[in-house]
Amino acid sequence: MAQQAAGKIKVGFSHALSLLGHYIKNRVMTQVKSVWLIIIYLILFQTVILGIRITDASIIAIGIGLVVAGLTFFMEGLFLGLMPLGELVGVKLPQKSTLPVILGFALVLGFLATLAEPAIQVLQAAGRAVKPWEAPLLFLLLTKYSHILVYSVGAGVGIAIAFGMMRFHYNWPLKPFIYILVGVLVALTIWAFFNQNMHTITGLAWDCGAVTTGPVTVPLILALGIGICRMVGSAESGTMGFGVVTLASLFPILTVLLLGAFLLGSVPQPMNETDFFKKKNRKAAEALFNNKDKMVHYVFSNASFESQVAYFDGSKEKMVEYLEVLSKNESKRRAVFGDDPAALKRWAISQGTEEQRYSVFGSLEAVTRYSTSVKKAINIPDLLARNTIAAVKAIGLLALPIFLVLFILLREKLPRSDEILLGLFFTILGMGIFSIGIELGLNKLGNQVGNMLPSSFKTIQLLEEKTNIINFDPDLVESAISSDGKKQNFFYAKIGNDYVPIPYDEKSFDPATKQYQCTPTKGPLFGSEGSFWGIAVVLLFAFIMGYGATLAEPALNALGLTVEEITVGTFKKSLLMQAVAIGVGFGIAMGVAKIVWNIPLLWLLCPPYLLLLFITKLSTEEFVNIGWDSAGVTTGPITVPLVLAMGLAIGSQVGVVEGFGILATASVCPILSVLAVGLRINWKRKAALTEAVQTAKEESLVDGI
Amino acid sequence: MEFKKRVSRITAFVNRNVSRDILDPLKEVGVIDLHLAAARSPVIEEKKGIFALLPGRDLVDDPMDIISFLVDQKTGDHVLSLIIEKGQLNLPGRGSVYSEEINLVMAHELCQENKPAPFATEKTPSQKLTGICCIVQRGQGDSVARVVLDAGICVPSLNFGVGTGVRDKIGLLRITIPAEKEVINIATSPYDAEVIMEMMIEVGKLDQPGKGFIYLYPLKKGIINMKVTRGEQRHVASIEQIVAAIDHIKGGIEWRRRLGTVEKKGVKRRAYLTGLADLTLLCDEGTGTNLVSVAMSAGAAGATISRLKHVRPPDSPLSEVSPAREACSMIVSDNQVDGILKALKEAGAFTDSCHGQVQLRRVPKAFTYLVK
Repeated sequence: MAQQAAGKIKVGFSHALSLLGHYIKNRVMTQVKSVWLIIIYLILFQTVILGIRITDASIIAIGIGLVVAGLTFFMEGLFLGLMPLGELVGVKLPQKSTLPVILGFALVLGFLATLAEPAIQVLQAAGRAVKPWEAPLLFLLLTKYSHILVYSVGAGVGIAIAFGMMRFHYNWPLKPFIYILVGVLVALTIWAFFNQNMHTITGLAWDCGAVTTGPVTVPLILALGIGICRMVGSAESGTMGFGVVTLASLFPILTVLLLGAFLLGSVPQPMNETDFFKKKNRKAAEALFNNKDKMVHYVFSNASFESQVAYFDGSKEKMVEYLEVLSKNESKRRAVFGDDPAALKRWAISQGTEEQRYSVFGSLEAVTRYSTSVKKAINIPDLLARNTIAAVKAIGLLALPIFLVLFILLREKLPRSDEILLGLFFTILGMGIFSIGIELGLNKLGNQVGNMLPSSFKTIQLLEEKTNIINFDPDLVESAISSDGKKQNFFYAKIGNDYVPIPYDEKSFDPATKQYQCTPTKGPLFGSEGSFWGIAVVLLFAFIMGYGATLAEPALNALGLTVEEITVGTFKKSLLMQAVAIGVGFGIAMGVAKIVWNIPLLWLLCPPYLLLLFITKLSTEEFVNIGWDSAGVTTGPITVPLVLAMGLAIGSQVGVVEGFGILATASVCPILSVLAVGLRINWKRKAALTEAVQTAKEESLVDGI
Repeated sequence: MEFKKRVSRITAFVNRNVSRDILDPLKEVGVIDLHLAAARSPVIEEKKGIFALLPGRDLVDDPMDIISFLVDQKTGDHVLSLIIEKGQLNLPGRGSVYSEEINLVMAHELCQENKPAPFATEKTPSQKLTGICCIVQRGQGDSVARVVLDAGICVPSLNFGVGTGVRDKIGLLRITIPAEKEVINIATSPYDAEVIMEMMIEVGKLDQPGKGFIYLYPLKKGIINMKVTRGEQRHVASIEQIVAAIDHIKGGIEWRRRLGTVEKKGVKRRAYLTGLADLTLLCDEGTGTNLVSVAMSAGAAGATISRLKHVRPPDSPLSEVSPAREACSMIVSDNQVDGILKALKEAGAFTDSCHGQVQLRRVPKAFTYLVK
């Protein structure tokens, strides 16, 4: 054989460059392949089907580029650094420590993982539309006690990982865990259904379970499980290291529901809006806010005019007086409206009534001057800082305990340390860039499409394009006649560079300030208001969006690659991805149907889960582990913002109490699809094996051998 | 401990559902030190309906276990027959098994060959075989396996491995070169082995740099799974049934010796490598990379490391050995063996930290890209 020189080989610069170039191109193309579908789909849907131009298109394009770059770094870093690290710890841990130590480590890891990943914050953003009088318990959990919500989810994940490790140690199959957990959860959900307050948090609880275990936690838990299983499992263990993600998605639902039940006594029952702000309910209502001032802020920003008056004991004068005090007394204003000095004025213009505006500004001219809507510019240093910190926090909070355990508890050296450290750096870099890209690109795009989506079956008001036109001259108004003889008034407005006709509504004109409040509308695009075809388009959109977004999810890609590796190629990554993506598509369409037609979540969750229990019984341990895990892994940083934007938009248009539950339904269906695929594959394999034995038996009967 | 003795190594490639039927009887007769590796076996499945129009994509993979262990030469044949009997491997589609003679050159005292008590069995198969092992980059395995399946030779076994070698000497730049490998193992009659090796070299483009490596190794005897297709039978008898019947009549397999392929225009004579040996080092998980670099400094070109599971009874002294093991397979020339063994011993491969075991088998013929 050709002799190799011992020690390093020097690689020429151009040769190194070509190696790097090939490698980078390879990796980037892989990510482009997973992301192109959802991007192209959103763009085409908005421009072609909804017929709306994409605003900020160049920023969105940059954002998408950043998403691809970020994903490339992130995925590479996962397989280079984080997963080998996890597997190393998993292999060494059973060798050098006892079971209680391993369980303690698992609890801490699960808790930190929940704090590290930003998924819960996204749910909080979704909760902004929740009204405290309609869903007091839900509002409490999302605002005042949001950190307690996070802790309870963290506890759930910690317990889950600990159980997972115990499962590997004692070689317990996953199926009994699933039967017991799902049974308890379904029972609890049914009980919660009949309690007014608990009813509102079932959607949140199930969504919390779906949303935990993000793109950093999942690969780490997988690698840990695989490592432990190699050392501890028996010769024929079907588990191979999967199954922990399943538990980490089911236990948090339990802990959140229990938290809700615990807090049930300290919240008022749901009631209507004005009653909520009356003095007699003041104590109960205040329990939902941090302090009195925050409640006042909430009253002004979110409640209707009647409720605001009701808050001030039905006296308009008291309210006006209070506002005047606010506009003059800076410290009081800060306490109520926050640090931004323009916040009070902004509120007055956009949401205040005439009298309120007058009391804030003090005179008509001041109001007239302050008339245009403020456009928010992108604050780049803030964007960078926020996302970098989030990325460092996400990976640091997870890598730190791993390193501590490795060096202090296990006293192991780090093999291939340069690769692992590079991998961790890539992961942090990738996550930061990826988050920025999502904020700039995907979220903007998703919000635009999501907000416009209800226009396919409803007339929606385009509130962001609401402008106050000053110096409005009523002489500008012209008349047109519609086909049924009704007179319609309109006027021409120059918006940007286009001259646009706008329907004229006398009520929106304020002759005193000479201002016209103009709110353009859109839709319905398909058929009449609330027509079936319009809703069908929405459901189809939801399906394809779920499908495309799932294919782009980094955690699912990581799971797919790991499954292909562990099964030595018998379960190909593409098969798993397709099965999961189709399942998620169905699930999201189901969730949107829930919002549009206000189907109770119970009916959309319990039957599928019961069906799942049945199919789980029929499936082999191998597929049960992989199938349930793949459901826990979906709904990540790409799917969740898109789904929530869509869910919130539709929910607010349709007028539901809360828009939660889509993520939960999106987690049930992929399990069904993967287990179904597994059943079919297993059936064919068994058939092929027994066929040989059958023919041999028949032959021996015939030949008499 | 060092010694050089000839032992029998028995390797069974069986469908995962069948492996349970084999492991228990083996334990009962006294084979208590086994290694298990996960693999897959592709077969061709006829596509029905509109899917028949789609090109390719008709390979179906089954999960497979590779059970391997060492036995002393006296009982080798008996254990082979036991496996065939309990696993019903004489039926098509169940799996393959063969035995080969290897040198157990050096091992930790716990890692010796199994010495089961002699027992009675039925007649052992007498078909002489040659094994072919082909190592390619991850993802290329299916195309090479296809050519073996299309020619109806046998059902190949594919498992994963990680390659080390030149890659480890270029510093951090090594992340740009993929190290994941696919290892394809087949066994066929000695008459056909060289022709098939040539076919695999062509399909896998192994004459190009970095594409892979292929070598032959002699086997003693065994039974091969020939059911390369699955699905509905189109004719009165399947081709495997006809071949098995004629084998029975003719009493052997020489009748189906392949005539040499007609020389294609412009085909170059290949420069095969001869006089080599396959040095396989079994060691505990995590120690393989270090030991391989030690071996490389003693002259080895590189190694392919695959993961194994060590199967032993729960309360035996073998429990000291780690259940997660690695097999590092290095192709070296004969004169390098002693140097490498010495270096490994000095690095502590045969102490309690690694529980190493070195097996040596002859490689009469090999091929890869060689720098001119």
